[in-house]
Amino acid sequence: MAATADLSAPDELSEREREAVEALLYRLADDEFVIADRYTDWQVHAPTIESDIAIANIAQDELGHARLWYDLLEDFGYTEPDLIWERDPDTFRHSTLCELPFAEGDWADVIVRSYLYDEAEHLRLGALEGSSYPRLRDRIGKVTSEEDYHREHAANWLRRLAGGDEGRERAQDAVDRLFPYALALFEPVNEVEDEIDDLGLRTRTLEDMRAEWIETVFDTLTSIGIDVERPQVEDGCVADEDLPAHVGRDGNHTDHWSTHFDEITNTYRELERHDATRLMEDPDDE
Amino acid sequence: MSSEIDPTPDPDAEYCAYTDYTEGEEINGLPATGEDTEGVERDVWDALYDIEDPEMPISIVDLGLIYGVAVEGDRAAIDMTLTYTGCPAREMLRDEIREAVASVAGIESVDLRLVWSPEWSIEMVTEQGKKDLREFGLSI
Repeated sequence: MAATADLSAPDELSEREREAVEALLYRLADDEFVIADRYTDWQVHAPTIESDIAIANIAQDELGHARLWYDLLEDFGYTEPDLIWERDPDTFRHSTLCELPFAEGDWADVIVRSYLYDEAEHLRLGALEGSSYPRLRDRIGKVTSEEDYHREHAANWLRRLAGGDEGRERAQDAVDRLFPYALALFEPVNEVEDEIDDLGLRTRTLEDMRAEWIETVFDTLTSIGIDVERPQVEDGCVADEDLPAHVGRDGNHTDHWSTHFDEITNTYRELERHDATRLMEDPDDE
Repeated sequence: MSSEIDPTPDPDAEYCAYTDYTEGEEINGLPATGEDTEGVERDVWDALYDIEDPEMPISIVDLGLIYGVAVEGDRAAIDMTLTYTGCPAREMLRDEIREAVASVAGIESVDLRLVWSPEWSIEMVTEQGKKDLREFGLSI
């Protein structure tokens, strides 16, 4: 990919550039926001107090990252209600991996899910280190340094689970169930993906990252006795039968998402709010 | 289960998984402390020094959160960061900084920029800050 010149400040982007930047930011922000909220389901339910604190902290990290990306969308004039509270849930672009409820009481589910997600996140952030959009690029180092702990956490737990028969079986079930949804992380939003690559907003294509992710995940899982099959890829696309019915990226979500979104926005609607409540005025808004 | 323990260590044994809190890189010019400044700029730094982290007894300057101060006429421009992206005290701290700096004689307006690069790390903490944190009970 040819090196591309830096893009301008947010208010000076052409329509085409802005559309590509927005598509990239929505995907990053929505994935982090939705999976963070899912992780909080485990608060006070995780198997030990250590793991409880760890998963709550990971959720907080992901919310912090979602905020960093939503902040950059606010550069374009959107408000927090536009981006979250009053948004049409069908316009969310997160992968369906992030929205699925956990199999009841199954710690292996959250561990496998975060393992699959964080390996993908690692590659995605790596491809943004050299982004042509400076405001995004400047945030990658900080986010990556926090994400590294998530990968360590998931990989350590995964090995621990696979060390015993019951844990390995549960992890195997979770992989069988979640692997297709994790592939959805690399599905395109639409043809805007070509623009994202052409403008140098990221330095690796989705296809390229997916290929590496499949090999990494395959090697790790098989080395700890968990079976996984590589998906069929033709002309750069994963075969339909290897993908779930809903991938999320294109706005098609599972029924779980509307329930989840209702839960997230319940208080906002119930109290008839029209803006995001703050403990104090945001100095940026003055 | 036998209660006898084999005293010979297993040569292939591995440590339990642990998290290595790797130290960050040293960045030229950081931490910024306002050393050698004078006049209104010095007063701005003093005002910043008076602000403590909400969770630990350490000045935000010694913690390394302030990346730069520029005073032009009656305007102060400040670059700051946070230790953590999910910092719940984000708005509280920013509000406190704006108020403290705006109350410095000679300053009418404050332009406070939140930046994430270079990323904050332990290397940004000043020697005084490390001392304060050790006294607080942190190993640093």
